[in-house]
Amino acid sequence: MTRRLLPALLGVAVLVAIPLSIRNSFFLHVCILILMWTVLGAAWNVLGGFAGQVSFGHAALFAVGAYTTIILYLKGGLAPWWGIPLGGLAAALVSVPIGLLCFRLRGPYFALATLAVAEIVKLVALNWESVTAGSVGYLITTLPPVRLFGLEVNWERKPPFFAAAAVLAVVALLTTGWLRNSRLGAYLVAIRENEDAAEAVGIDTVRAKVVTLALSAFLAGMGGGFYAFYFRYVDPDAVAGIGLSMEMVFIAVVGGLGTVGGPLIGAVFLTAVAELVRDRFQMGHLIFYGLFMMLVIRFMPEGIWGRVRRLTPGARTGG
Amino acid sequence: MALLDVQGLTRHFGGVGAVFELSFSVNEGEILGLIGPNGAGKTTVFNLITGFVRPSKGTIRLDGQSVVGLRPHAVARRGIARTFQIVKPFPGLSVRENVTLAAFLRHPARKDAEAAATVQLTRVGLAGRVDELASQLTLMDQKRLEMAKALATRPRLLLLDEPMGGLNATEVDDASDLVRQIRASGVTVVLVEHVMKAIMRISDRVVVMNQGEKIAEGRPERVVEEPAVLAAYFGKRVA
Amino acid sequence: METFAQSLVSGVLTGALYAMIGIGLTVVFGVMRIINLAHGEMVMLGMFGAFWSQKLWKLDPFVSLLVWTPLMFVAGMLLYRLLLRKIIPGGELNTLLYTAGLSLLIANLALFAWTGDYRTISLSYGITPFRPLGIAIAVPLAVAFVLAILITVTLWLFLSRTDLGRAIRATSQNPEASVLMGIDVERVAMVTFGLGTALAGAAGVLLAPSLYLYPTVGELLIVKCFVIVVLGGLGSVPGAIAGGILLGVVESLGAVYVSGTYKDGIGFVLFLAVLLYRPSGLFGAGR
Repeated sequence: MTRRLLPALLGVAVLVAIPLSIRNSFFLHVCILILMWTVLGAAWNVLGGFAGQVSFGHAALFAVGAYTTIILYLKGGLAPWWGIPLGGLAAALVSVPIGLLCFRLRGPYFALATLAVAEIVKLVALNWESVTAGSVGYLITTLPPVRLFGLEVNWERKPPFFAAAAVLAVVALLTTGWLRNSRLGAYLVAIRENEDAAEAVGIDTVRAKVVTLALSAFLAGMGGGFYAFYFRYVDPDAVAGIGLSMEMVFIAVVGGLGTVGGPLIGAVFLTAVAELVRDRFQMGHLIFYGLFMMLVIRFMPEGIWGRVRRLTPGARTGG
Repeated sequence: MALLDVQGLTRHFGGVGAVFELSFSVNEGEILGLIGPNGAGKTTVFNLITGFVRPSKGTIRLDGQSVVGLRPHAVARRGIARTFQIVKPFPGLSVRENVTLAAFLRHPARKDAEAAATVQLTRVGLAGRVDELASQLTLMDQKRLEMAKALATRPRLLLLDEPMGGLNATEVDDASDLVRQIRASGVTVVLVEHVMKAIMRISDRVVVMNQGEKIAEGRPERVVEEPAVLAAYFGKRVA
Repeated sequence: METFAQSLVSGVLTGALYAMIGIGLTVVFGVMRIINLAHGEMVMLGMFGAFWSQKLWKLDPFVSLLVWTPLMFVAGMLLYRLLLRKIIPGGELNTLLYTAGLSLLIANLALFAWTGDYRTISLSYGITPFRPLGIAIAVPLAVAFVLAILITVTLWLFLSRTDLGRAIRATSQNPEASVLMGIDVERVAMVTFGLGTALAGAAGVLLAPSLYLYPTVGELLIVKCFVIVVLGGLGSVPGAIAGGILLGVVESLGAVYVSGTYKDGIGFVLFLAVLLYRPSGLFGAGR
């Protein structure tokens, strides 16, 4: 127990220390991005890493969360701490019928179906103008005045966003950690290993996958909601593109499929590559995403964190 | 009353493996052999009973209750377990974890499931290999693992699909003993098998299929003398 | 009625080119059981090949077919030999993810090299359409259509008349048996991947005068390509032809009769419906 508690406490300490000690807003911005990508990578990993169900359409769930959150705020005045979880909930609700349909397919067929679903969601976002404002999108100009512990929250600075992203990332990692040790998590691994055999020993594979997709969608939707408030702008290209889906895949694969810490490592890696390359070339980071994904699958299919765990003496196998 | 009762079971396919108007029943505590030449539809019958394939027509009742239309996991919950002809372990998981996953069906708590798994693994003779990866086992041991998994779901009826295929003579004897032990513990067994000697020795009754239809049924030593069976196995000439 | 006939014809013409892309993907799937997500980028490379041939060497795009098709064939074989061969034994999902990475890599290298500008190829004979029976047909599209048919027929002859072609079809129908029959599966796979890549590249060259070209066009094309092969049944060449033409016609009619940008969605809805209810394709035997 202490073996797990210690790094967790250390992590929380680091999360608290960063905004208190660092004033450089660019650095904080990078940290916020890492935390946001951790949430999204973890969301994808729950389904793709544990259950082996590769989705190329997770941007659709992110988009549902982002739109729900921003619409609730702009039209209903709902504050971020309500809007973000509700965005997650909306994504989870949308994911259930999607799952019931697409999980009739297996392996690559499932992946193709998710791609189509994501394209359909993007088309709906573009065309359902009365709700989504079409290609114009939504813009947040001001955030609500809030007092917390007697202090006015300054939305123009980074720390409040850092705190929100940290909470979401902790939720995402705790969820993954719980999943790994739960019966559902064991079922998912069984499904990944051999779906027929899993059914044969009495595992309701469709239910397990749909529940997991909903969980994954909840995390991705909250990520979308956070994105809406942090970047204050939502339009179909920004939140529903195939590139976003691929970035989530990338984080989970590079970090380590089916591991708890992988998405964090993957998010650090992705953000670092993006920020290092951005100064030099525009869009160049996607070249490196592609390249690293190929290298990882060729030489380190268990991902960075998976490799570290394997090399650490005494690490539990199979989890 | 019969434990399993199958009436008029039919499944159309484009190619081999179809089943036509098949009826048979299995009594509680019995070992029933299901035999027939390649492509006779034996494995399809298992797939139909366990919900992997839906019948076009016909009824399947376990203890008087229909299991047609249930998905495989629900059939397993009702008490029918199966093994696969081509073994389907969870290859990247340990032997213990393989069986524990099956034991979860009756034991929601991991500790209980692991204990139940250990019992079944001991029973099939894999107690010494619990920490090995399933993919690293020999074929014989993978067949044992397959049985341990099926048993861990605590079935009333166990369907074994060629548990002895590909095994050598000593291994066949071991496997036969194991099947008898399983029956002795109160589990009813249906087995599909190509190894005729073994099936004749351990089955109480056999059902013979050819091209999707039942062509004979009865005590093993009687059935092998029926002309229709001889024809099916050794060529059309005799018929 | 005239509008209907007009869009039907242009649908069939475009559909034949879609079919070519689809055949490339489906042949590779048939033999290797992998879905190459970078297939759309191969088409994009063909398109840019045609563009630069005209720009730099004043070569007619359709003449440049003679350069790019063999080049893409060799590139495809090398890609298989040097990269994919090591990945495929790791399972279909690994391969899927790997080709996804490859697709990102190629598309964004192209974006880096050629920027995201939309480009067009203008041809002297591309301005006035010819009008058989009162239906206007763009000349470049008609030429592309004829060449596409020519290429497809050649491919069919290769697959049915040569030893290597027969080996490819045998492997596609039954990989295990083909090993026993003494077919060099490695070589068959390599040639097949080369063929698939060459078909995609050639289709890109043929499409270039009729479409906007930009580095990420592959994204759009790969999705269309999935629709086609799923409609026709993954692994089936005649299915891909039928699926390609069907998609071409549906899109073309949709552009006239369905409002707004929803017309792009028809293909996807069709795709999902087929995936869910007839996973072996509209024309395949039931599962």
